[in-house]
Amino acid sequence: MDSFGSATRKFRIPLLNDSVSAGFPSPADDYTEENIDLNEHLISNPFSTFFLRVKGDSMINAGIKDKDLIIVDKSLIAKPGDIVIAMIDGEFTIKRLSIKNDELYLKAENHNYPDFSFKNHIDVQIWGVVIYSIHSYL
Amino acid sequence: MKISSNVAIALIDANNFYASCEQNINPNLRNKPVVILSNNDGCIIARSPEARALKIKMGTPYFKIKEQLNKLDVAVLSSNYSLYGDMSRRLMNLLKNYCEEIEIYSIDEAFVSISRPNDKNLYPWARNIRSLIYQNLGITITVGIGENKVRAKIANKLAKNIDYSAGIFDLARTRNENNYLKRISVDKIWGVGKQTSNWLQSKGIKNAKELRDMEENEIIKKLGIVGKRLQLELKGYKCLPIEKNKKSKKEIQVSRSFGTPVTKLEDLTQALAAHAIKASEKMRSQNLQSSNIRVFARTSKYSSQNYQRSAHRKLTNATDDTNSILKIVVELSKEIYNPEHKFSKAGVLMQDLTNSEYLQQSVINYKSQKDLKKSAILMRTIDLLNKRFNNNAITWAITKTPKSWTMNKNFLSRSSTTDIERIPTIVK
Repeated sequence: MDSFGSATRKFRIPLLNDSVSAGFPSPADDYTEENIDLNEHLISNPFSTFFLRVKGDSMINAGIKDKDLIIVDKSLIAKPGDIVIAMIDGEFTIKRLSIKNDELYLKAENHNYPDFSFKNHIDVQIWGVVIYSIHSYL
Repeated sequence: MKISSNVAIALIDANNFYASCEQNINPNLRNKPVVILSNNDGCIIARSPEARALKIKMGTPYFKIKEQLNKLDVAVLSSNYSLYGDMSRRLMNLLKNYCEEIEIYSIDEAFVSISRPNDKNLYPWARNIRSLIYQNLGITITVGIGENKVRAKIANKLAKNIDYSAGIFDLARTRNENNYLKRISVDKIWGVGKQTSNWLQSKGIKNAKELRDMEENEIIKKLGIVGKRLQLELKGYKCLPIEKNKKSKKEIQVSRSFGTPVTKLEDLTQALAAHAIKASEKMRSQNLQSSNIRVFARTSKYSSQNYQRSAHRKLTNATDDTNSILKIVVELSKEIYNPEHKFSKAGVLMQDLTNSEYLQQSVINYKSQKDLKKSAILMRTIDLLNKRFNNNAITWAITKTPKSWTMNKNFLSRSSTTDIERIPTIVK
């Protein structure tokens, strides 16, 4: 499915438009125009928004769980406190961008995982800012 | 018509577009040499800067340098057009916000028009748009600015070749224009084909400056109005407009090379049917109908027996109905088939396209209105189902038998941005 295409395309199904009114007009007539489009509500910059899937429990304390769907907006400039996707040593990683003693570092939201300091690595890049995570209860 | 200098044209293109798309969505490929293979994994059609640095050449057949690539630890990928198409759509939509008009010229190239600010300096604008695109998509663009399209193209080349340009060059703002124009050889000028370039070189015209200053009559005599326009653009006049809304397509083509050569009629028909299904789907998504359906097949360009055939059928009434089109394509495939040849490529073309809305009235006794409506509803339902579920969730039986003719795509990356099942995974 073209997940981003649908961010700009809306599938609307007008239910009552074709009905011939023979009598009292349906009070619902005025309410048939819009459907709730999650793309519209969750995504403000569709052209810079990407989806990723989480594996593992390193962000469990931030409420991000294994298999969650992550919505990432690359247009946002990351600031301390944001949950970010970073590229480190050829892998995507999800962490909270944090600041301690004037220095930025990446913090896992799980005590079993170490913090990650920018100092010791040459190629670290913030790839995007996480704007939502979607968890399935099924 | 010398243009008022307050509207500039920029040619914006993405650097190493296919490779950049792959590197952006797969951190594993960053800073690594990456090459992309053509359809059917034939030859190299794109390289990351790292692969360029290894002197890997464009167009090299893959089988010839397979070993070498392996030794150099180069990542090899099949072309992934759903990824490139999606990234292109994002790129073009982002560009729209930063210019007045845009003409999408190719998957990774666009002409845009932009007003010159009072201080005439467009470098801040260009720097801004460059960093914005990098931030949003992880893709680097080059911005060439000039008074018109031809000069914007030249500026773009200069931006790529001049180290200190940082990916931006404004040909309208340089003091030593002659020196820069001399760096562009005639065969590299937009609009100069092979023949024209040969002729110019035989006249001693080697570069853009010499073409600009060439005797006008001589150009007109040989190249006519097209040549004159080209020279005028080189001089800074604006002759070619930005084509904001390119006219709707004149034809829709779906064609593919075969993974292994096709010799059986059954396979050829099946391939053409699959292409026809795709083409009719494309037509419907653009509200188009065709009244001239063409199929073609050819042997490899490199084979000694260069054979190609095409056949077409004109229709009284344009259609976008897959069933009707398939019937015709199956018949046509028999006409072009020849058992003595190994086909390496085949395709269908939907020609004489018309907008379906104009057509509604002209429908006469071809099919009854009722049947037409029925078929339209059926097609729409199929398209919706295929959009909703996987592509080809519903298709025609003719394409369902095992295929021996499909393309090789042995190194295809995931459709990371367009398929929810294939989005990248963050491990920890």
